[in-house]
Amino acid sequence: MTENDHRASLARLVAASRDPLAAGGAGVSTGSGPASASSPPAARLGRRPVVGYVCSYVPEEIILAAGCHPLRLGARPGPTGPVDSCLQSFACSFARGLLDGLLSGQGRGLGGVVFAHTCDSLRAALESWKARKPAGSFTHFLNLPACVEGPGAAEYTASEFGRLAEALPAVEGARPVTAQALTEAAELMTVLRRELSRLDVLRSDRPDLLKGSQLLAIARGAATLDREEATDLVRGVADGLMGPATAAGPAARPRRPRILVSGGFLETEEPLRLVEEAGADVVGDDLCLAGRALAFSGAGHGAGRERSPAADVPALLSALSQAYLSRVPCPTKHPPSRRLEFLLAEVKSRQVDGVIFLLQKFCDPHAFDYPAFREALEASGRPCLSLEIERGGLPAGQAGTRVEAFLERLRFVGPSADGGGGRP
Amino acid sequence: MRRTSKGDPSGATGPYPLLAADRRLASDRDLKGLILKHYLGAYKAKGLLGRKPVAWVTSGAPVEILLALDILPVYPENYGALIGSRKAAVAYCEEAERAGYSQDLCSYARTNIGSMLTGRGELGGRPLPRPDLLVAAKNICGVVVKWWEVTARHFGCPLFIVDTPFAADGLTSAQVAYVRGQLEELIVFASRAIHRPPPSREAFEGRLLGVLELTRQATALWQDIQVLRQASPTPASALDMFTNLFPIVTLRGSALCVEYYRKVRAELAERVGQGLGAVDGERFRLIWDNIAIWYDFDLVRYLHARGAAFVGETYTDAWGVYQYRPEDAADPLEAMARLYSQVLLNVGLEVRKERLFRMVRAQRAHGVVFHSCRSCKTYSLGQYDLSRAVRDELGLPTLVIEADMTDSRAFSAGPTKTRLDAFLELLAAGSAPASPNLA
Repeated sequence: MTENDHRASLARLVAASRDPLAAGGAGVSTGSGPASASSPPAARLGRRPVVGYVCSYVPEEIILAAGCHPLRLGARPGPTGPVDSCLQSFACSFARGLLDGLLSGQGRGLGGVVFAHTCDSLRAALESWKARKPAGSFTHFLNLPACVEGPGAAEYTASEFGRLAEALPAVEGARPVTAQALTEAAELMTVLRRELSRLDVLRSDRPDLLKGSQLLAIARGAATLDREEATDLVRGVADGLMGPATAAGPAARPRRPRILVSGGFLETEEPLRLVEEAGADVVGDDLCLAGRALAFSGAGHGAGRERSPAADVPALLSALSQAYLSRVPCPTKHPPSRRLEFLLAEVKSRQVDGVIFLLQKFCDPHAFDYPAFREALEASGRPCLSLEIERGGLPAGQAGTRVEAFLERLRFVGPSADGGGGRP
Repeated sequence: MRRTSKGDPSGATGPYPLLAADRRLASDRDLKGLILKHYLGAYKAKGLLGRKPVAWVTSGAPVEILLALDILPVYPENYGALIGSRKAAVAYCEEAERAGYSQDLCSYARTNIGSMLTGRGELGGRPLPRPDLLVAAKNICGVVVKWWEVTARHFGCPLFIVDTPFAADGLTSAQVAYVRGQLEELIVFASRAIHRPPPSREAFEGRLLGVLELTRQATALWQDIQVLRQASPTPASALDMFTNLFPIVTLRGSALCVEYYRKVRAELAERVGQGLGAVDGERFRLIWDNIAIWYDFDLVRYLHARGAAFVGETYTDAWGVYQYRPEDAADPLEAMARLYSQVLLNVGLEVRKERLFRMVRAQRAHGVVFHSCRSCKTYSLGQYDLSRAVRDELGLPTLVIEADMTDSRAFSAGPTKTRLDAFLELLAAGSAPASPNLA
């Protein structure tokens, strides 16, 4: 692959991340919505129905196995529209933005939407959507446990995955989930996540080659495009960036503070870019779409790893649910102790100098975890900054000033005692 | 006597210039004793000679299991309401905010966290007695899970979360089994937390059935009380009910609770017999949706002074859900799993609408006041749809008030009064008392 090839792959992924509904939704659906003029060629997608989903705990593998195209839905950035007559302003800004996008018709090309249990605001968005969705359109609630380490949670999660698998064929153009289709989907997703994980390592080791903001855009693009195409594109980017021409050695440039960002779902990579433009490298993240979505801990990246020749759908779903339950902790599913353990390990292994919390306005789960995390991270020598995300972005000007002041603090403090900032 | 104004006899200034004096129930005297006894009992349990373990529980926790294990439940939400009613919550909230807890978080949580962090409280200056174990049920919101996690970390205390899946319009058998299994586990967990061996199934079930029977009796009495409020004039308005909520929340499953509601029922029946209303000259019959605004009961008194009485509250009515049946004795944990999973805040909007409409019709209401409570997302989000449904399908006027149950900084009395005036004019203009579409 030439350098131009990997740049083209990167450009394709980033472009898809800009407008997921247009890139992954319109033009490939059996739905009645008009195709967007900016839609990509749909050769690989064929006429598969597009199923939008809301949380990274919704198993894309099952949607793929049902013959559908999974599309990660985000919130509609910018001024709010119809949601103002549905949900009060103190609902989480992500939930409001998501519902606003659906109600504004951005989801017309979708064959269905899958919500999952996360928080009170998203549950309210689901209820509001159910009351307003087009008649007959497919909506499913994946009623996941709130405490994935609790008694019976594994069996219960497997049963909920089973309910999703049984429900999806009701989407127009979908097919029943078979063991073979599930196995193939799990293998595909395992490979895609592996390729994304290569980039994750690269943005930490060589942020001069791949920025954190770019990885977030790539992850969004990969959650938008056909997964086979996305796998090829991500592999192309990784091969290109890691090739001898580009990865000959560390770039000679002044040392920049190494930052990890933590939070929920980000509608755009702009907040990360703001940090980078202020003079830091975003070398790790604990975000819904990037870090948490691709980092599956434990043995399995999905049912593909666990399968046996005789595995049937329930066994595969059980293995898949185990993989999802054992992944990187989320504040709506895991106790804060596990999250903190994960964060402390991440900041150490990635030699992070400081942590920026990007908290969605009115997001309860993250806000409850924040004070203890800040205390523990600061005690480990990593200063923390908290910024509020609302309607997809940070308040212009004010946030930039705060980030600059935070980076000044990091430069003054210097690298953390256990090796933070040791990179060139 | 009933047309008085607090602090300003002319009634010319202040947000509420004309307030009705409370026509208190005689049983209120007993209620104060019950509240005092409950909290003193909790302090005593953790005092020098105390031997009884204390659990901090959420209002929707399956408390009967703890009672059957002789564990004393204490309710931080009730404590938050108590602090709110003393208009003292803001100082505690600010303490929590100084520690990094966002002002956007639930004010019950911030009030309790502030009290916990400072070691101060509103009962003789003391915070709640230290817990031996913590039990949170997700059936009222996801917030309590996170709040209880913060509490567990602070005290280094064992925490059990009862994870009740969202019962939008019912429950699957897998969901019931999931919750039931957790209740089984809770028995073991709670026993271990108080350093006792888990009880034998037979002995435990015997005790549990006894507690559930007391819950059933109290629930039945509570429902009788709501039915008595259908009378015109209604014998009890929102102020009576918000305060009388205490036993069904915090003493549920006890004989004291049953005994108390027998008295309240008798008193309300007597009032109905005498034609004595909670509000003089009752003109308008209203429903309240959401938690009370604990620091500003004058808002309700303002309505009372204008002949508007609250004949029902979704908040108080929600405690009538624990209706155990004789056949539940065969598997009490399954019955608990079902009932605790289908409390008002864990069901879908359609079910909430059905319950609200049923109440509007049964209580013959003329309008609905929605308290859009910034702290309580599970209760408040969806109110715009409910309000529209009441207006469009029942033809009744509605009012949405922006406030918070304990943090008075989120409430502006002056503009709210202006909106109350407009609402009263709407009621007077003809929507009430015809109550169209109530058949």
